[in-house]
Amino acid sequence: MPSSDPRDPSRVRQLVVDWLDDNYHFGDAEAVIGDDERSFMQNGVLDSLGFVQLVLFLENRLGITIDRRELSVDNFDGLAKICRYVTGHPQFAGVP
Amino acid sequence: MSDEPWFVPSPEAAAGSAMAAFMRFAAGRLGRPITGYSGLHAIALQEPAAFWPLLLEFSGLLVEGDPAPAIAGTGVEHARFFPGLSLSYAENLLRADLTGGDDAIVVVATDETGAREEVRRGELRRRVLGLAAHFRGIGLRPGDRVVAIARNTAESVVACLATAAVGAAWSSVAPDLAADAVRDRFLPLAPRLLLFHGAHPYQGARRDLGERVATISRGLPTLERAIALDLEPGPALPVPVTRLGDIPPVTDAGAIAWERFPFNHPLFVLFSSGTTGAPKCIVHGAGGTLMEHWKELRLHSDLGPGDRLYFTTSCGWMMWNWQLGCLATGATLVLYDGSPSYPEPDALWRMIAREGVTAFGTSPAYLQYCRDAGLEPRAAHDLSRLRMMLSTGSILYEHQYDWVREHVGSLPLQSISGGTDIIGCFVLGNPLLPVRRGASQSVSLGYDVRVMTDAGPRREGTGELVCVAPFPSRPLGLFGDADGARFHAAYFAQHEGCWTHGDFLRLEPDGSARVLGRSDGTLNIRGIRIGPAEIYGILHHVPEVVEAMAVEQRWPAEIGGSRMVLLVVLREGLRLDRPLILRIKRELSQRGSPAHVPAVVAQVSQLPMTLNGKRSERAATDQLNGDPVRNRAALRNPESLDELAAHPDLRRAVQP
Repeated sequence: MPSSDPRDPSRVRQLVVDWLDDNYHFGDAEAVIGDDERSFMQNGVLDSLGFVQLVLFLENRLGITIDRRELSVDNFDGLAKICRYVTGHPQFAGVP
Repeated sequence: MSDEPWFVPSPEAAAGSAMAAFMRFAAGRLGRPITGYSGLHAIALQEPAAFWPLLLEFSGLLVEGDPAPAIAGTGVEHARFFPGLSLSYAENLLRADLTGGDDAIVVVATDETGAREEVRRGELRRRVLGLAAHFRGIGLRPGDRVVAIARNTAESVVACLATAAVGAAWSSVAPDLAADAVRDRFLPLAPRLLLFHGAHPYQGARRDLGERVATISRGLPTLERAIALDLEPGPALPVPVTRLGDIPPVTDAGAIAWERFPFNHPLFVLFSSGTTGAPKCIVHGAGGTLMEHWKELRLHSDLGPGDRLYFTTSCGWMMWNWQLGCLATGATLVLYDGSPSYPEPDALWRMIAREGVTAFGTSPAYLQYCRDAGLEPRAAHDLSRLRMMLSTGSILYEHQYDWVREHVGSLPLQSISGGTDIIGCFVLGNPLLPVRRGASQSVSLGYDVRVMTDAGPRREGTGELVCVAPFPSRPLGLFGDADGARFHAAYFAQHEGCWTHGDFLRLEPDGSARVLGRSDGTLNIRGIRIGPAEIYGILHHVPEVVEAMAVEQRWPAEIGGSRMVLLVVLREGLRLDRPLILRIKRELSQRGSPAHVPAVVAQVSQLPMTLNGKRSERAATDQLNGDPVRNRAALRNPESLDELAAHPDLRRAVQP
């Protein structure tokens, strides 16, 4: 049952998975991701060019501005990391 | 548009350029002064029979035979350049008397894993001649086609030049093209020999190609042999496989004479997909290709000894063939294979700094990535040897010049444009002229490029790009098109007597040019040209789809400034839902390539059709971009456009 709280991390997770399906994995995103803690870069989930597109999408969709100096492996290389970073972002008000 | 030049070459740099030297040479030979580039270009157009031999003489390219006539026959469609000459393409790229001789490092091949190989001219020649001897030994003959699934590496350069050395025609694709798409390209060529890499690195992973190579080779019944370009054992194939590493270089390259072939002997076969039919197999001749590439690289880009050219490309794009020509100018070719952003987002800039690249060829899509990723190459790397940049693939927007100025440096940025069909450029850079943001500095020297208007072809104004006089890089024809009917239909039927290129162009009074987009229904998404016909072919594997149309919609937020929209008519009663959208995208990705995947899939009840019953991509494109629909009166179902206008997923982006 999807959460009704727009700030729920599971909604960010679904947003990213759907984006990966729409743009890279076409229905196989969950299978390719495998585990939320796994590295995107090392497991063929997303390349660096894709990361930039994902960042632009998240900025546009969530109305946040991501400092490019924070585009690091620690913040973005994996589903769990992305969810933690986005939900901890000071401008994050939830998934509309 | 700003009238202020964005970059002005110094008088010393202009005077010291090869273009200026050629101008002085031509003035001396002709016995009259030539004023500026426009004067040189005017002479070339007015006196082609005098101009082209002058260019050939100045180039120093090795040819033999009678240089007269320079142009045989009349008209763009049928004229032939230098039918009395013969040459060896490979010899011209590898000759020992180029600056630096045999010790000069002429190829530096790198990849994302950090692997690096330097090849000196003498060694490259010995490797090429060794492989050429092997080719002859296995019975490869002049005119045969050699096909390759190849990485952007030194061994691919060796294989290509060896193919040219024996007079066979080289045709290659990149490793990421799906098996069906590769087979569609290679099958009509009836190749006897396949060259392949068995794996390629991308984004830190080693992607195995064995299964795909095996599938492709089983689909090519004329294949007799294969050569593995990798060091590792290749996959099991239905034909005998030799490893390139087991084929020895010759020991004394000086003792071997190069076999020379007619100026118009086939050299490369490239592929171009349109809105209908199978991909076209475009045959380019050795002499025209060599002369044009020399002219573009030496004169327009001012490359020569001491330069290091790196151009981001793969073996599936004509820029790969194009960049090889820099070897004939004495410059060094730098290759990079793999992801441009691995292991660090700025991996490519690191390579450029490390290898001392002096000329960097890129694309608007990559420059946009750099900006979006917040890269600051100049601050992070020593780019002091970089003295120029080139960009092609799609329109280079004005703001991208500013990004280059701020984050790379004050250097000429040449926006060049042409394509597969002519294996070169119609509009490009020029060391004598200022750079204006968003514009190509000039038309290619000696090419009578015009825009088609209601009043006919003009040298100023906006319209369809046409070329009205013979030019050396016009292809010899299409493979398998014996009577030339398909060649004529593709390039000459639209405006009789003119080459019609499929681009919209604006020619400015100062001689510069701006490409405005495609005019022929093919798509340009993130700098990659996609023929809708291939998409329609793949969609036959999705039985729910009755009809489809792929069109390009301007979308500033997208890398490259546009997105692909796929309109689908489904079987009666079906509705387009998310699982079907994802299945359509998956089929296009797996049977085509990631570039074949649309950004948006939208269900419509009908597609715009002409009165003749043909799909009209043009009408849909105009409608989706808010442009006047030029052929609305010629549509059988103009109400189809109203449906597009009302579709919630197809609303036009707000223009910047």
